[in-house]
Amino acid sequence: MRAYELMKETYCRRGYIWIVHIVWLVLYGSFWWLFLPSGEEFGRFIFIWGGFFLPLALSAGIFGDDIASGRICVLVTKPFWLGELYIYRLLGLSLQGAVNFILAGCIVFVLHFLMRKGSTEDLGLWLLASWLLFNTCAALSTSLSIVVGRAYNSLLLFAVVVTGYFVVSLLMVSMRQQGGTGVLAGFIKYCWPPFELLYKFASGEYGKYSLTVGRFSVTKSVACIVHSLILMVVYSIVGIALLSRRQFSRQRD
Amino acid sequence: MQIKNKINMRITIAFAGLVLECWALYVVGASPEHWRPSMIVKDEPAARALYETMSKTIREAESLSYNSICSGPDGRASSYQIWLKKPNYFYVDAANLMKSSTLVGDGDYLWIYWQGSRPFLTFDDAESHAKTQLDVYIKKATPAGRNSIGHEIAMLGFTWYNTIFEPSTLHGYIDSLDSYIDGIRSRGPDDVGDQECDVIEVSYMDAQLTRYFWVSKQDHLPRQVKEIDRLSSNIVRVEEWSDVKLNSEIPQQKFTWSVPEGWRQWSATGPADVLLKSGQEAPDFDLLSADGGRIKLSGYRGKIVWLFMWRTGSPSCREAMPNLQKLHDKYEGRGLAILGFNYADNKRIAQSYMRENSVTFPNVLDSASEAKKVMLRSYKNKTQSVPLNYIIDSQGNIVDAWFGYEEGSKRASAALKKAGLQIEE
Repeated sequence: MRAYELMKETYCRRGYIWIVHIVWLVLYGSFWWLFLPSGEEFGRFIFIWGGFFLPLALSAGIFGDDIASGRICVLVTKPFWLGELYIYRLLGLSLQGAVNFILAGCIVFVLHFLMRKGSTEDLGLWLLASWLLFNTCAALSTSLSIVVGRAYNSLLLFAVVVTGYFVVSLLMVSMRQQGGTGVLAGFIKYCWPPFELLYKFASGEYGKYSLTVGRFSVTKSVACIVHSLILMVVYSIVGIALLSRRQFSRQRD
Repeated sequence: MQIKNKINMRITIAFAGLVLECWALYVVGASPEHWRPSMIVKDEPAARALYETMSKTIREAESLSYNSICSGPDGRASSYQIWLKKPNYFYVDAANLMKSSTLVGDGDYLWIYWQGSRPFLTFDDAESHAKTQLDVYIKKATPAGRNSIGHEIAMLGFTWYNTIFEPSTLHGYIDSLDSYIDGIRSRGPDDVGDQECDVIEVSYMDAQLTRYFWVSKQDHLPRQVKEIDRLSSNIVRVEEWSDVKLNSEIPQQKFTWSVPEGWRQWSATGPADVLLKSGQEAPDFDLLSADGGRIKLSGYRGKIVWLFMWRTGSPSCREAMPNLQKLHDKYEGRGLAILGFNYADNKRIAQSYMRENSVTFPNVLDSASEAKKVMLRSYKNKTQSVPLNYIIDSQGNIVDAWFGYEEGSKRASAALKKAGLQIEE
């Protein structure tokens, strides 16, 4: 019951959450309707919009709002482990992402059925990759929300990712001649939300450009999924640690 | 007791997570060199028959046309529209995004020309490009069976990815890799588009290179080729064929091209033209050697040096290494130092190759960017082609430089003599 209430809260905590879902679904449908993209083009679209932008929109201020309004003080007096609060909120977000992607898939299948145009090839894999990216981004954003006031966690994450990738691209180009790009590339690839790995997983590059024959490499795909889930867990552990620490400091006050 | 159990459980979960993550990182990021021994293919007669049928179908065809897209994991791709006809006719449109180049083989000559301005080629500089970008063509002799269309495209460097399957096979050109096949095995059926295919795996040079061919069950022609070149990191390329037409009528006009008025013949600078010239000082370097020490070129002052740049995936280099070893054994005490230089290969691959072939002459084995810089910038090997030979005299000056290897080459003997080596005839 507690789990249900806490997860439901993520849907209802702000009025705009339903609007975000509807807008995003309309976006997917419009993109498909207007551009009749190939499976990969649509996959790339949903990967960025659903995997990266959607969790930012849904997780804005997920803890920051409560901290700013003082409601967190009420929440922490409840007789349960603070980690549960974090976990159920993250699960709530994850569930929202899953529902959103399932609906996106349904919309595309309906449009495809009605129009008899376009392609739904590998859509399932793109949706799975988008959901995995959604989870890691949501965990990172939720953890940030504990230390960043109000709803700035999403803006901060967005700015960091965009400028980070821009700066890193410049660095990679300038450092290519001097070497040392390996460490930087490894850090970006394995410690940040796994944009590159999941993109390769969904687009079939691990099969096409891997050592294996065939389109998809099962081992590498499983490894991508495992890495992505573990990354989400690591971000969450950091978030739970931050939340517990913040609680203690309040009690001391 | 309960707390202890809780702690134990957390430690177990954390440990399991760590193990899982290590496995995931290993699978996603580990060097595929770990799997290389299992990549050496043992011959399967049925698969070899399939490969031979594919080659025979192409060699015996009168004409062949297809579209090919060659791509790599960086997302870039080059496209080719290819028409081939016996005995030595071809027409190739090669394109990167909007820039396209056309190659026409009229039976005797190869003509390369561009619609509009020509793209920037590998050895262009801004000034020469500005002067020659419009209304120019290249003309070269194309001896039947000895001309490689793929090589011509690669040398000029106007596409991102070259064809994997050699188009000149139809004209009787034999890929030098064919004599280095370890084995061919079947990898089962697979579909490419609407074509049902049999997939075969061919490994070359102890799996230094692997190619997968998706061979159509219908016409025995490839529909997709994947190549894995195991260098210091793996280089994977894919070629996809479409609109394949075998023995269809191709009008002869397709293979003729007359020079438009006002156009002029132009010779593109080739990789050999930019190498260091005789009399120039050989740039010094200090790099890692095969035995884990360091090699400094200036440490060889007083000796004549044959600097040989190689990699294990090159058939010519493989042919050269035993002969160079013989030279080393014979002339080591007479003032000649054979010095290998390999920056391209995975160190372990190169070391095991040297061990298996009893190569004992000193070798630079360094895959760091510094070694690559020496090769590319100091020794002007912009296309990273191998084998590359530099003969350096005892004062450290270049005597001669050239690509390729030929046993008993007159050029090599002349250069060594010029450098002051007493050669036994």
